[in-house]
Amino acid sequence: MIHLEIQNVSKRYARNKYGIKDFTMQIEKGILGLLGPNGAGKSTLLKMIATVHKPSSGIISLNKNNIVQDPNYMRKQLGFLPQDFGVYPNLNAFEFLRYMGAMKGVGGPPLHERINQLLEGLNLMEAAKKPIGSYSGGMKQRVGIAQALLNNPKIIIFDEPTVGLDPEERVRFRNLISDLANDCIVILSSHIVSDIDTIADKVAIMKNGSLISYGNQDQMVQNVTNRVFETSIEKEHLSSFKFQHTVVSTMRKDGKLLVRFIADQPMENAINQKPNLEDAYLYLTKKK
Amino acid sequence: MKPFLTIIKSDYLQRTRSYSFLITLCASLAIAYTFVPEPNASYSTIRIADHVGYYNSAWFGYVTAIMTSIFLSLIGFYLVNSGIKKDIETKVGQIVAATPISNFKYLCAKVLSNFLVLLSIVLIVFVMSLVLFMLYNDGYPLELVQFIKPYTFITLPAMFFIAVIAVVFEVFLGKFSILQNIGFFFLYTTLMVSTPSNESYFSLDVFGSKIVMHQLEGQVRVLTKKDKSTDLSIGYVIGNTNDTKRFLFKGMDFPRSFIMSRFLLFAIGIGFITLISPFFHRFNVKERNAKKKLTPSIQTQLITPEIRLTKLPIPQINYSVWPIFKTEFKLLVRKGKRWVWFFNLIGMLLLALLPLKIAHQMVLPILWFLQVGRLSDLTTKEAANRVHYFVFSSYKPLSRLFVSKVFAAIMLMICLALPLIIRQGLLANVCAIITILLGSIFIVVFAVFLGMVSKGKKLFEVLFFMITYANMNSIPFADYFGGLEHQTSYFTGLLILVMVLGGLSVFLRTYELKK
Ligand SMILES: Nc1ncnc2c1ncn2[C@@H]1O[C@H](COP(=O)(O)OP(=O)(O)O)[C@@H](O)[C@H]1O
Ligand SMILES: [Mg+2]
Repeated sequence: MIHLEIQNVSKRYARNKYGIKDFTMQIEKGILGLLGPNGAGKSTLLKMIATVHKPSSGIISLNKNNIVQDPNYMRKQLGFLPQDFGVYPNLNAFEFLRYMGAMKGVGGPPLHERINQLLEGLNLMEAAKKPIGSYSGGMKQRVGIAQALLNNPKIIIFDEPTVGLDPEERVRFRNLISDLANDCIVILSSHIVSDIDTIADKVAIMKNGSLISYGNQDQMVQNVTNRVFETSIEKEHLSSFKFQHTVVSTMRKDGKLLVRFIADQPMENAINQKPNLEDAYLYLTKKK
Repeated sequence: MKPFLTIIKSDYLQRTRSYSFLITLCASLAIAYTFVPEPNASYSTIRIADHVGYYNSAWFGYVTAIMTSIFLSLIGFYLVNSGIKKDIETKVGQIVAATPISNFKYLCAKVLSNFLVLLSIVLIVFVMSLVLFMLYNDGYPLELVQFIKPYTFITLPAMFFIAVIAVVFEVFLGKFSILQNIGFFFLYTTLMVSTPSNESYFSLDVFGSKIVMHQLEGQVRVLTKKDKSTDLSIGYVIGNTNDTKRFLFKGMDFPRSFIMSRFLLFAIGIGFITLISPFFHRFNVKERNAKKKLTPSIQTQLITPEIRLTKLPIPQINYSVWPIFKTEFKLLVRKGKRWVWFFNLIGMLLLALLPLKIAHQMVLPILWFLQVGRLSDLTTKEAANRVHYFVFSSYKPLSRLFVSKVFAAIMLMICLALPLIIRQGLLANVCAIITILLGSIFIVVFAVFLGMVSKGKKLFEVLFFMITYANMNSIPFADYFGGLEHQTSYFTGLLILVMVLGGLSVFLRTYELKK
């Protein structure tokens, strides 16, 4: 049974400047959605799990093997899509993937076949013979995704994978991922709830370098039961309204604004709403 | 084994499939063409006192092999010493770092792809040497062995050595490319100058050229029955081709110890990589580099006041070039590591204090050469930083941005030379001042032109380096800033060259914009 353990991990970038601080978390098989606003420390955490960076202190272990000391144990079963990655612009997708395959230590005809199918599945087949330098952002992102899946990884880390993908590609990506989760760990990070709410088995919310909530989606949503309301207000009042409540969304209706918001106390004229993950996320991250 | 080859192959393809590599190959072809002078040419490359060999296979093979070994070692280092840096820049490194590939394998792959890149150039030169033989030979038959042997035992091991050194330098001095360049320059000079006195030390000569030179000198010494003045001169010497005497060079038998040493060079290189691989940063470098750029995102979670686009202040329109020029100048000054300015200041101080002749002839070109990094990507940096779309879509990019960029660079060069200009001014040396100004314009326009033609910065860097090297040796032809005595026609020529290059650059940029 695959098991990833993060114990008291800190990453210090400068004096008094921590990417994450004293972070502890246990991850089992399944899809984990890692949510948090920009700068929360998601990338910092993921890079350390991926053994690209070393923690300043603390232990990360995979199946009881300390991967800080033995990074290759992790690397052999890892697929990693960094948030801000690059490609060799002069190689085409085929060549680049074969190159990455070689780096990961896989090869042979099966790799060939796997690359073909990944390119097919990610809708890159047509462009596969053109240099990656000529790709659009979304295409490049998909090459990155393919790269992460080359070696049949058991632990897969995607840092903001849906950046640059259009809605259709996002759906495609989700379908691809949901297939994976049977016996491996998949970690998806995002700052957009809708990217992960349909596929994540568990959700972790980070803020300022710490874990502020971790559980399955139902548990998350319970945080905001009876706290989500809807009311309509004048446009001019929005600013002051935002000052008092956490606004989830606004919608124009009949010259007024329909506001969905979170409040600890019920309010007159406000209608109680069925909470969802987005509400919970906002509630937890905005809470002081 | 197969995956390892894939890595090398891809790396090699990535590096060679570029326009600038094509240019490099063309340049190599052109340079190789000069390695053995045409029979009536007025310059010589390798010459022992007043002797050169009959134009037979051995002469062509050995001369071009030695020339390649010596020159390509110098230039080649600068061509291949950014293999790892590229992986950092392209951010492929992050992905590589997360794969199980060992440091040793990764570095070896870099060494071998460096080696392959150099070999591609060697191959071009080799073909050229055969072509030259066909063109000029004195009726001797073609003996392929006389070509293959020197290239195998002299050039190839030297190239491998360079490939290894480039990686070693990158591992230890990855962040300081200036130190890499200077360090290699010293290493190269030391290795070149340290002449093995004893024959058994020829094995220690990594460039492998000394042993051949020794043999050539010996042969001529026997012919002339003199001990002295049979020194072999190597490099481009103009106008010493009167009453050349010929002798027959039939190639040589390398002693077994020498051949063994060439194989050992490969083994030692790999051993070296084994030793240094634990020190490789494995792309755990971004942290410190990124720190400066990544000012911690101010956590704007409190109430951000809503903004209304219609209520925003409307900026004034100002098409003046002056603000752009100022920004470009600031960018140029701030570019690169700050401690380079320490050297710049020392250079300016020396310009003010040293005897006028030395200041002008030696200090000025070195001081200007220190700016190579600022000049080399003057026109290519937009594309490299992926901002060229903004630039090219800005208002009148050609006349405003391009011009202010060029002027900012010229201004920088002039500022650096200011102490010297003032001194010359005090002596009323108007000519000297004009030539310095002309020189600053020339070098900037040269950088701009080469940057646009080669779409990269290497070509200019390498040529600037060679020019400066020539300046150090007081070669009149390379004197673009009036350090030596010339006739006026020389500067008229330079002026015309500047205008042609400038005109072509403007033309090229206009063309780029129209695309
Ligand atoms: N290389 C770095 N040097 C200094 N600070 C960094 C570096 N990388 C990230 N940080 C800081 O660490 C914090 C977490 O960043 P990051 O992990 O990238 O967040 P996220 O991925 O959640 O947006 C941020 O405040 C960021 O400014
Ligand atoms: Mg991030």
